[in-house]
Amino acid sequence: MTRQYEVVYIFDSALEEAAINERLARFNALIQKEGIEPPQVSHWGKRTLAYPVKKHETGYYVVAKFDAEATALPEFERAIKLDDGVLRFLVVVSEGAQPVPVTAGKGDEEDDE
Amino acid sequence: MRRPQKTCAICESGVRVVDFKDERTLSRFLTERGKILPSRLSGTCARHQRQLSTAIKRARMLALLPYIKGFGG
Repeated sequence: MTRQYEVVYIFDSALEEAAINERLARFNALIQKEGIEPPQVSHWGKRTLAYPVKKHETGYYVVAKFDAEATALPEFERAIKLDDGVLRFLVVVSEGAQPVPVTAGKGDEEDDE
Repeated sequence: MRRPQKTCAICESGVRVVDFKDERTLSRFLTERGKILPSRLSGTCARHQRQLSTAIKRARMLALLPYIKGFGG
C-alpha cells in the first residue's frame, strides 16, 4: 500500500545547487517506482536556523511530497542519515493540505469531526 | 460569573490540518519565551490544540522555531 509522505531536508548551505540536486535525485531514486508519480519538490532556499545545528547557522531547506511504499522508507532514511551534506531531515505521513472544498455543505465522508 | 467562550482562531481561519512548516502562524501560539500557549489562554479547540502541539514540536526539530527564545545568541 502506498501512502503520501512529506520530507523536509535541511542541507548544508555551503553546498552548491548542483550538489543538492544530485543528492535529491539519489534519494528520490530510492523511493521511485514505475507507476508512481515523481515527487513534488519545492526549494525554500537558504534560511537562518532558529538555533545552530551541527555548528551551522544557516541551512538550505527543501520540501518534497511523494507517494511510496512503507517498506521503501527505512532504506531511504538510512541513505539520508549517512549523507554528511544533510544537517537534519524529517519524514512524516502527509495529512494533506488537500484542496479543501470551500462549499459549506456537509458532504464530508469523515465522521471523526 | 462565566467569561464568554473564546473562539478557536484556527477554526475561524478555516484550516483543517495545522501545517508544521508554517512557522509564522505557529509562532502566534507561543509565549515570548517560546513555550506552547495553553488553550486556556489562546482559546483553541481541543482538536486544533493537539494538532498545534505536534506541529510546533516538529517545527522546533527542524529549526524553524526555537526551543527557547532569547537563550544565548
